[in-house]
Amino acid sequence: MPPVSVSPGVAIEQPALTQLRLEVRAFVADAIRDGLFVPHVDTWLTRWDREFTRELGRRGWLGMVIPTEYGGQGRTFLERFVVTEELLVVGAPVAAHWVAERQIGPSLLRFGTEEQKQAFLPAISRGDVIFGIGMSEPDSGSDLASVRTKAEPDVVDGVSGWRVTGTKVWTSGGHEADAFFALARTSPLDPAHRHDGLSQFIVDLHAPGVEIRPIISMGGDHHFNEVHLDGVFIPDNRVLGQIGDGWMQVTSELGFERSGPERALSTFHLLAETAEAMQTQTLPTDTGVGRLTARISALHQMSFAVSTALQGHQNADTAAAVTKVLGTTTEGDIADYVDLLAPPGRAADDALHTLLHAAILQRPGFTLRGGTNEILRGVIARGLGMR
Amino acid sequence: MTTDTTDLSTLAVPVAADPDLVGMMTDLFTAYREARTAPDQFVVFDESLWGQLEELGLTRLTAATESGGSGASWLEGAALLTAAAGAAAPVPLVEHGFLAAWLLEQAGLPNDGALRTVALPDAQGQANSVLYGRHAAAVVALWHDGAQWRVADVPAARVTITEGHNLAGEPADTVSFEVADLGAGAVVRPEVRDEFQRRGALARSLQNVGSAERALELVLTHVNERAQFGRPIGKFQAVQHLVADIAAESALARAATDTAVARAVESDWADPGVPFAVAAAASCTGHAASVIVRNAHQAMGAIGTTLEHELHLMTKPMLARRGEFGTVHEWDETLTAMAVAAGREGLWPLVLTGTTA
Repeated sequence: MPPVSVSPGVAIEQPALTQLRLEVRAFVADAIRDGLFVPHVDTWLTRWDREFTRELGRRGWLGMVIPTEYGGQGRTFLERFVVTEELLVVGAPVAAHWVAERQIGPSLLRFGTEEQKQAFLPAISRGDVIFGIGMSEPDSGSDLASVRTKAEPDVVDGVSGWRVTGTKVWTSGGHEADAFFALARTSPLDPAHRHDGLSQFIVDLHAPGVEIRPIISMGGDHHFNEVHLDGVFIPDNRVLGQIGDGWMQVTSELGFERSGPERALSTFHLLAETAEAMQTQTLPTDTGVGRLTARISALHQMSFAVSTALQGHQNADTAAAVTKVLGTTTEGDIADYVDLLAPPGRAADDALHTLLHAAILQRPGFTLRGGTNEILRGVIARGLGMR
Repeated sequence: MTTDTTDLSTLAVPVAADPDLVGMMTDLFTAYREARTAPDQFVVFDESLWGQLEELGLTRLTAATESGGSGASWLEGAALLTAAAGAAAPVPLVEHGFLAAWLLEQAGLPNDGALRTVALPDAQGQANSVLYGRHAAAVVALWHDGAQWRVADVPAARVTITEGHNLAGEPADTVSFEVADLGAGAVVRPEVRDEFQRRGALARSLQNVGSAERALELVLTHVNERAQFGRPIGKFQAVQHLVADIAAESALARAATDTAVARAVESDWADPGVPFAVAAAASCTGHAASVIVRNAHQAMGAIGTTLEHELHLMTKPMLARRGEFGTVHEWDETLTAMAVAAGREGLWPLVLTGTTA
């Protein structure tokens, strides 16, 4: 029996990537100095800034893996990886383009029609079109195949298409987005083949029949939404790929979705601020900072190695699940660790408490979104041959 | 896609040891493990295995060829240590091949290849917990004479050995030197002390990765075979989650140690980021052992707590090793000092490169 390991291996970053990092790092340092944004935590969900997004587009840091013929940069997932890391660790406002950049673009590229690619990819690459995701439903969370949103064939003014009806939840930034992908049942649930009969639709969120209601988070912020689709008409040319391919589509990008740097770095700026506070003796020096810094360093390596494997078209599902379980736990542990150290305070008092309170309030979501850690441990167990 | 045509080697280069050599070592130690009889309370040095490793050039795998070593890199060395630890091979590979040989090279002293171990004696010339001390033909001491660090190659006949055992039951002896013998040692660069500590800690981390991965194997076999309530216990989610966490922490430990090895190999240990990488490896691997040992014993049930079962050959050494060459707490302190000095802007470069530049 060969040694059991779910390790993604080690890959060494080459100078071309490091150079790209330094360009992004210099840009964000200027942006912070010029007041373009204030560093925060969990900014890929909670900090929405269309103008900042467009600026990234102008600099060639959006649509990075989209080919140039569709208005993108034609670069690699590894180049996108380092740009993403540099933006996340300083807590830059990246939420507006996050979903389009991470999964909508790559999905359109892989499954979309030529017309769909032309219609959306150039605008995504400029930061002009903002996308959301419509997978979860009130009764469908971890068990995504149980979605009840239904699409039925219809014809309007001679145009054939689908009438989509149902409710989607946890649509991040849905109230600000232009469109989303909605996963719906296009044929009735067959208990023996639960993953069949699902399809994805590209839904214009300004279309008639779409109603968006806020879901207010426990800290009082509005990031999530409920999206009601009341017989929204979707023409055939806004079906993503083939009818019936929905399950394959939503699971195909999981390696990228689950091992991305955002799965460990949501609270990195808080850790950096804590190190700073220890340097200025605002907080007592404690070895937890070293322990967590080491862990983040190992997680960076794992995430980078998974991206390298995926770029080389190797399967890394189990390693990605491992990386996400460890990463999301650690980024939450950072919040709790600082809370154990910091004196009581109010968010308005100083930068440390602003970041700390936001991190504590966002933390429960870290190990839920993108596949709960319980689901992911099941994925790991399957990878180990236990299921 | 454009991305398919890009030459990835300009962006990222995967690091791996020579697969043929790794395969040979894996086969060797798997065969050794499978032929072994039930474990004893105390680890007994295996002279015949040592002879076999000697013939294959594995006892001084990473030592320089000029001094009789095999001249391989730590990438191959890493594969050797993980494979040997996974078989609980009772031989002083780290002490003899990775540390004593290196110290002698630093001191410019000859190495006849006879079995050696290493010691860090105090001012009076006493060193505790010297692994395999009783089996060594000579003990290589790294000693501070009050002004400088010296390396002395002291023959067994000139030391007094008091036998003992560590937590893992390994021979861990007290070695008493004549101060004059230590004072006659060759002066080495002052940095050798910290470099020795880093090599020792990284070697222990590598061994712990090997033990962790074997513990995972043992647990997997057990939970897939052991049936309760009419099914293998591995079908229960609670058990799956215990095992998933063993796998996850093992992967994290491996990522941290392999990164440190890669950084060391790439620069022949000269990269200024090596100290951070080694400290991170020691910290991650040390903390991982807490979860791995606990969960492995929990999943294995009472049988895993017995002397006859193989599991303690993995778990006891993991706990014994993580405190050698610096405790986990000390490595966390080292990392903390680096992180605090790095501050807000420097922390991320530290994570990436081990320096704040």
